[in-house]
Amino acid sequence: MPVLAAGVLVAEGVSFLLVGSAALWLHGEPIPVGDADVVVEPAEANLHRLADALAGFALRPQEVPRVLALPWLNVLSVVTSYGMVDCLLERGRLDWQTLCQSAVRIPVADVDVPVAAQADAWALRRRFKG
Amino acid sequence: MGDRSGVGLVECAILEALESLGARPGRHRRSATVLDAVQERIGLAPGYAYEVLLDLARPWQMPVLLVDGQGNFGTRGNDPAANYRYTEAGLSRAGELVLAAERGDLPPVPVGLINGNVYREGLRPPFRPLAVIEALRELIRRPRVTGKDLTSIVGPPCFLNGCIVTGDFAAMAAGRPTILRLQARVTVSDDHHHVVIEDFPPNANPDEVMTTLAGRASMRAWAAEHPGLYGRTHLPLAELRDESSSRQGDLLVCVPSPGATVEQLREQLMDVYGVYTTVRVDLPRPLPTMLRNWVRAHPAEGLLTGLVTLEEAVRNQPDRN
Repeated sequence: MPVLAAGVLVAEGVSFLLVGSAALWLHGEPIPVGDADVVVEPAEANLHRLADALAGFALRPQEVPRVLALPWLNVLSVVTSYGMVDCLLERGRLDWQTLCQSAVRIPVADVDVPVAAQADAWALRRRFKG
Repeated sequence: MGDRSGVGLVECAILEALESLGARPGRHRRSATVLDAVQERIGLAPGYAYEVLLDLARPWQMPVLLVDGQGNFGTRGNDPAANYRYTEAGLSRAGELVLAAERGDLPPVPVGLINGNVYREGLRPPFRPLAVIEALRELIRRPRVTGKDLTSIVGPPCFLNGCIVTGDFAAMAAGRPTILRLQARVTVSDDHHHVVIEDFPPNANPDEVMTTLAGRASMRAWAAEHPGLYGRTHLPLAELRDESSSRQGDLLVCVPSPGATVEQLREQLMDVYGVYTTVRVDLPRPLPTMLRNWVRAHPAEGLLTGLVTLEEAVRNQPDRN
């Protein structure tokens, strides 16, 4: 189900790349999916769309921070009705262009979800989970 | 952690404060007074200590209640507990046993082993009190009992309120990190008119679930553009009612939209986070080793007597067993 959260974010017009276990699962890896980790494009307009989208499907919309706070956060974790969504905001500020170069699109229902390349997804996972 | 009960240090400090004020079963003291005594003992500010005090008295948080609360101790939904100036607390019978065990007046009681600590985002799940007591008894009677038998006596973790727990219990009992799925009971009514959700997982808030279900039933701006995704994420709900009561507990009634069946609605509801939740558990050691260590740590201390006393206290808890 966390993968559906990525589909909804695409439908809501948010620009991001799916990484983590959900990305690897979409690449065909036999891996349990605990949450949806997304690297978010750091543009201001995109952060507005992200905040609006999260407020729309978070279990606790009042806990979604104001958009003005987003450029200063490293990670934003939101519990949604599709499971946990971790927005990797700092990673987006640092690596957005690099990760985009090798990203692919994988369909979820009838939406093409942008997913980091398998090697990038593994590299990020190893870096943060050991 | 108290060596002879497995109860945490802050929890023990709260129990000691209650005892020092004479707050025994049936004799409550103002929570504010209790929290002042806790601050004097360990320096913990009342706002922090109150959160722990509330947990110790909330029947949906832990199997063995250590505090008997009086007044508004909050609900599982959005209603918070009243301020500590307006509530009262006393030791429960099990709370008294924990203190007596810690002082050495009674044999050790395995309360920490039973309650676990996932209610405060720890990694040790709660177990059925009577099952843990039975497993320890079996171990005292037959020291060579196998780990498999002990695990089978204890059974799966017992999250309160009857939610359904699934996951790799063997891995959990072996001391490996595991993710458990906690699922509310989602059933179709006898007349096939609606779906009932009850027995929510302890880490779900029924009020939040109700709001999120209503959100998932509303039309999305992108529905026409992405009908496939909309079909997967939209809940065919015509009506949503909160029929929670003190007698029935938290209970939501969901009526399907025209064109959708109750079975379809039920399937989709089961996949909404909040109707199910997950919890990560990771026992510090394999479960049979934890039980054996408990018995070995307190040789010749009349452990059986302690277990009998604890069993009696657990059986006499309100709303239990």
